[in-house]
Amino acid sequence: MEGRVYSFLLVYTILSVTSNIVLSLLGESRVDLYLSLNILAYYFSYAIIHPTIASKRAVLLNILLLALFTAIVSYRVYEVLSG
Amino acid sequence: MVTKLFILGLNVLILSGLLGLYALIVGSNVLLGVASSLGLSGGVFLVYSLLPRESTMPSLVEYTRTLLSGLTSTLEDLDLLDANLCAVKKGANILLVFSKAPCPLEVDPGIGFARGSPYLALPVAKEFTESIREESGGWTLDNVENVLRGVLVDELAACKDVRASLEGGFLRVHLIGISQPLKELSKYPVDPYVIYTTMALARALPAKTIRLINRSLTLDEEVLSLGVG
Repeated sequence: MEGRVYSFLLVYTILSVTSNIVLSLLGESRVDLYLSLNILAYYFSYAIIHPTIASKRAVLLNILLLALFTAIVSYRVYEVLSG
Repeated sequence: MVTKLFILGLNVLILSGLLGLYALIVGSNVLLGVASSLGLSGGVFLVYSLLPRESTMPSLVEYTRTLLSGLTSTLEDLDLLDANLCAVKKGANILLVFSKAPCPLEVDPGIGFARGSPYLALPVAKEFTESIREESGGWTLDNVENVLRGVLVDELAACKDVRASLEGGFLRVHLIGISQPLKELSKYPVDPYVIYTTMALARALPAKTIRLINRSLTLDEEVLSLGVG
């Protein structure tokens, strides 16, 4: 596996590690924020590098991460509206 | 599968599990957040380690091109350019047979003569395809799709999806989103998609013969009609 996929994983790793370090230095205690920023880092890297993958596993992972992100955001919106 | 990436993903997952456990014990939400984020990254690495390698496609195209040019020359010499392709099972062996006669069974590996027509029979190695077991008297379309997806999508990255249906007693296989470099080779008399699909089905299905009835190529899809006997 060379080229784009490696570049994608590298950018994703750098972004997610940076977000983790920044959030933990800020003392952020909301677990879902770590997850959602990681998912954003994934999609950001995916959009920038665009690894050409013709596999169902990658599509499933994308759908799963989108569903998780949607659930986190929906929960936060619900919390704001109900609070 | 990329083993190094797989091991990395597994390590990250284990590390995130241990960190998460520690975070729960000490009651630190910050550590729990870092652990969950690490777990997600580990999962991503694991999934990407199981994807087909990017370098598979150029080598597959190169190999296919060499194979097809050799095959085409041989078929031309034997006057078999418009021959029927058929996969024949002989005991534990599978032979890909090019012949003008409809699926001759009395063939041996190599070049020969059967049912009034010359033939070219290529032995196929029995690898990488899980066999479809007969379930309640026959194979199912889901199993056929799974086997073809495993080979053509996950192993070879030759297309994006596979659909199978039964029409008029024939098995119709739709190869969706076929790869552009391989599509170029599909225009030649020996179509790599036909060869790979027939080989995969012959390895997997409990049938004696698989023969190509018809094939049609559209923008990014190839439809194969196959007779399973």
